[in-house]
Amino acid sequence: MRGQGPRSNESGEAARSSNLWRDGLRRLRKNRLAMAGGVVILLLCLVAVFADVLAPLPYTKTNFGRLNEAPSREFPLGTDQVGRDLLSRMIYGARVSMLVGLGAQIIVVLIGVPIGALSGYLGGRADICLTRFIDVMYAFPRLLFVILVMSALGAGLTNIFIAIGLTGWVGIARQTRAQVLAIKEKEFVDGARALGAGFGRLLTRHILPNALTPIVVSVTFGIPEAIFTEAALSFIGVGINPPTPSWGQMVGEGQQYIRSYWHLCVFPSIAIAVTMLSFTFFGDGVRDALDPKLK
Amino acid sequence: MKTPRITDAQVDLLAERLRAVGVGRREFLKVAAGLAAMGPAGFNHRPADAAPKLAPGEKLAKDQSFRYGGGGWWQDDPTSHDFNKDLYCNGVPALFAGLMKFNADHQSVLYVASKVTSNSDGSQWAFTIRKDSKWSDGSPCTARDFEWSWKRQLDPASAAPYAAFLYDIRNAQAFNKKEVTDPSQVGVRAKDDWTLEVTLEGPRGYFPVLAAYLAALPAHRASVEKHADKWTEAANIVCNGPFVLETWQHGQVMVLRKNKHFFGAKDVVLDKVTIPIVPVASGALPYENNELDLTSLQTGDLKRLQSNPKTVEEVFRYPFPGTWYLIPQVTKPPFDNLKVRRAVAHAIDRANIVKVAQGFAIPAHAMIPPGFPGALDDPKIKAIQHFDAKLAMAQLRGTPFEGGKNWPKVTLTMRDEALGSKPLAEAVQSVLLEHLNMKTDLEVLEPRVFRERLWKQDLQFVWIRWFMDYPDPHNEYFDTFYGKKTTGKRQAWVNDAFDRELEAGRDTRDPKKRMAAYAKAEEIMQTDVGYVPVAWTVRYAAAKPNVRGIERNRQGEFVLEANIYVDMLPHLYMIERA
Amino acid sequence: MFQYIVARALWLVPTLLAMALVTFLVMHATPGSPLDPVAEGANPLSPEAQKNLAEIYGLDKPLPEQFAIFLGKAARGDFGTSFVYKTRTVAEILRETFPVSLLLGALALALAVVGGLTLGILAAVYQNRMWDYVSVSLATVGVAVPNFVLAVFLIILFSFVVPLFPTGGWNSPRDWVLPTVTLALAPMGIIARFTRASMLEVIRADFTLTARAKGLGERAVIFKHALKNAFIPVVTLLGPMFAAVGTGSFFVESIFRVPGMGRFFVLSMTGRDYPMIMAVILTYGAFLAVMNLVVDLLYGALDPRIRY
Repeated sequence: MRGQGPRSNESGEAARSSNLWRDGLRRLRKNRLAMAGGVVILLLCLVAVFADVLAPLPYTKTNFGRLNEAPSREFPLGTDQVGRDLLSRMIYGARVSMLVGLGAQIIVVLIGVPIGALSGYLGGRADICLTRFIDVMYAFPRLLFVILVMSALGAGLTNIFIAIGLTGWVGIARQTRAQVLAIKEKEFVDGARALGAGFGRLLTRHILPNALTPIVVSVTFGIPEAIFTEAALSFIGVGINPPTPSWGQMVGEGQQYIRSYWHLCVFPSIAIAVTMLSFTFFGDGVRDALDPKLK
Repeated sequence: MKTPRITDAQVDLLAERLRAVGVGRREFLKVAAGLAAMGPAGFNHRPADAAPKLAPGEKLAKDQSFRYGGGGWWQDDPTSHDFNKDLYCNGVPALFAGLMKFNADHQSVLYVASKVTSNSDGSQWAFTIRKDSKWSDGSPCTARDFEWSWKRQLDPASAAPYAAFLYDIRNAQAFNKKEVTDPSQVGVRAKDDWTLEVTLEGPRGYFPVLAAYLAALPAHRASVEKHADKWTEAANIVCNGPFVLETWQHGQVMVLRKNKHFFGAKDVVLDKVTIPIVPVASGALPYENNELDLTSLQTGDLKRLQSNPKTVEEVFRYPFPGTWYLIPQVTKPPFDNLKVRRAVAHAIDRANIVKVAQGFAIPAHAMIPPGFPGALDDPKIKAIQHFDAKLAMAQLRGTPFEGGKNWPKVTLTMRDEALGSKPLAEAVQSVLLEHLNMKTDLEVLEPRVFRERLWKQDLQFVWIRWFMDYPDPHNEYFDTFYGKKTTGKRQAWVNDAFDRELEAGRDTRDPKKRMAAYAKAEEIMQTDVGYVPVAWTVRYAAAKPNVRGIERNRQGEFVLEANIYVDMLPHLYMIERA
Repeated sequence: MFQYIVARALWLVPTLLAMALVTFLVMHATPGSPLDPVAEGANPLSPEAQKNLAEIYGLDKPLPEQFAIFLGKAARGDFGTSFVYKTRTVAEILRETFPVSLLLGALALALAVVGGLTLGILAAVYQNRMWDYVSVSLATVGVAVPNFVLAVFLIILFSFVVPLFPTGGWNSPRDWVLPTVTLALAPMGIIARFTRASMLEVIRADFTLTARAKGLGERAVIFKHALKNAFIPVVTLLGPMFAAVGTGSFFVESIFRVPGMGRFFVLSMTGRDYPMIMAVILTYGAFLAVMNLVVDLLYGALDPRIRY
């Protein structure tokens, strides 16, 4: 869960920020659960990157003689409705799901951080306007809105980025704004300003690095959320176009076959669950490590 | 009774009129199904009732409660049960009884009418109504009710979306379009309580078929006047069919009770019918958990139920003739190249593709499934697009795609549909990739978006189906592929020779000549690869062992309630479980 | 305080307006016409019938005018007639379905809060012992498995393996169990995790130590001091939780055949049922906004450090 409201960041001086990261890393290393999560995430990223090497078969390779087979030595996770190797599809699915998570979060950050930072930094009327805008967007029922946007755009990977990105930036904008507000008043910022640092320099060199903590935390939680959203979209048929495999799509389709062919649904579900947990643990760890006062 | 001859001109008139108003193709064909069946001998006078025929050792159950649904029946709440205003209201047809009805062979037979007569050319009809025809409140359901109901549908104030269905009645169209304001000018009139006289715009030998269709069902005047659009809510509805609507919890469940005032009540055995609103995605779960007595099955469940000794006996196949096929759009590259289309046709490994349908499809080598008029078992036809991977690749010689290279982006488009369609499409993708190295994206569109783009012929490569509306090749060819169709045309491919064969098939009465024309048409279309037939559909349902009375058609197949045939419930009964 | 409430309530108006506008624009930009028939396999309406229908629905007018008309009517609580369920007004449908969703949501939330707190406390008190693991595992399943998958697992488990509950329906409290549990597990997991964390912190905090030192029994310490303080972060979770339960409900409702508002959303999207889409989004939006306000006030009441 994301932190709520403005909180002060004690170790907020630019000079000490490298220390902060070093300390954070040290604390993170001690957190076993977070490290386990981090390792799983790293593995997932490797799987996603090297899917072509790792997958025993191409994800499109069908075998009409071997449909819906339960796991066996030949097909460790069984085969799907078209006789494709489920393991291979899961491996490629990792790529798609990570892409969905990262892609959506990149858009979220690209929209949310500038708006939040601007709002916090400028203050005054601009802040009021932007805050109101953010508040309005915050009230939108997220998932319904994603579905609405997906219907308008049509299915597809890029459209999923856009739909999730367009609706998901609000939380991060709020947090960035709160952080910027808190840091803006600090002496070192005043100092930098006195030394003649311009607006852009101040924001990018001094304020944002210090506001990074909640952004990082927010992103680590946003990624599994995006993967979840994609699963939900696939379930109602506005997800990713076949034959590209994504875990969400595999779960959505497999769900209907669950009594006959359990493996179609169970393995991708486990993959999503593990990813979700890894990110959650890792995110918790990062948050605790970077700001021990936050819980 | 002497039945007027139905001329081809009349059939065409009906087809054209309905097409013009968009009710078009499918409904016309449903109607024409009965029309074809009527033949020159007149109407089938099979009685409207059906008494159970118990097998030895069987005993009627004390509790005649029946529950059905799922697998596509009422996956969403009905709009209303007001068929009189909107034939697509998705209501329960068993609540109403029309003058005629369709039997299991899709013939129009007498129902509320006890006799039908016409003048010699079929431009005037008289329906004699059963004296015991009653509404569920006990009041008589007379010719005046039918007159009022049909005029209600035509009244522009009702804004009934498919009013054009009754345009054969004199001045109906003019009245509906506000050109005639006096309802008494409309050619339907109750001569007395028990005789309905209908004057048509011209000779219409098929009119009794129209009278059997959902759109011709009556509405209860007093209820409509009192409750307006809400008259089919359970609290308000007065109906005249074998069942009444006892409760209707929106989005959840409908409960029907036997209508004791129904004229055929003594032969209706079921006392209570429960229809829960069940989404297709639930599959057979509610049936297996004994929440339903009859359900239509989906691909995911068939094999399991069949392999379970407890349920294997409960599963049965029922006719749902339809054809899955591909449209390579001849206006879009690379399919503007005949060689490419031929390559695709030969690359479709049908025998393997249908395996993914898990029993719900069989390989198709032509448009019409086996067992139906016009089905082609001709080796010559089978050879045109037969699967041969080498031959497929060989077709590409001399094209820019020789050796399966240089393919442009190819998008195969289908509509979002319940289970079964997507695996087939993915199998098609897979064989194209394997045998032609043609990589395709599968685009799944929402139904509305799909239809819009399909009819604009805007799609490059289409995965689509046609469900047969009535057993005649006219349906499978003319109404699907005729090049001069003005609306609802699916493919850009047009071929004059093909069209001429279809016209010949339509305009000839000699069955042999007709079939020859359609065979020729199939040959032309396949040779030019206007379409690529892939699979024929098959459906399955499951019924608990104590359900009896499901009707069979002439071919001996079980027939379940669908679009045309809606007479299932009055025939059903439950026996004591062994 | 009062001023704060009024100000927040007033902000609801522009918020809903903006929501309505965005929804309206996106909806009209979506391809596929609402003038096509609803029924599967139905034929296209004739151009005339479409024109009639457009007139009846007011779709023949320019968009700004349509929006103005919508606003004018909506302000009086009139959302028009559903394009899909033509005999019923949107308001009628909402009156029937919203209470069902609300009941389901409330049950799920109650279960989530009670279950989550209990598990969290047990986990904190019996740290690193069996209860801790049980609660962590339960929480894990709840958070990490999409609820439409969870739903099917539960159906298999409790309708077939142990035949306790029906696969769907909404007639008796027995029908409520599976959808409620499905919907509750995810927020329950989150609450349990947070409660555990804040409880651990509080248990080790100075004032609890003081309380113990004063000779209060372990139970009294937990319930009187620790629990109240541990509850505060949980309250902050309630806002997003309402949203999760609210929007999650449409999967759960359609799988378990619950006649609630959630399942109408997807249906009205595919049916291009403009009035229903607007009404459902605005109802959710308004509900969430009100709930967020309530949560903020509750938070203020519980945590004396916060002033408005």
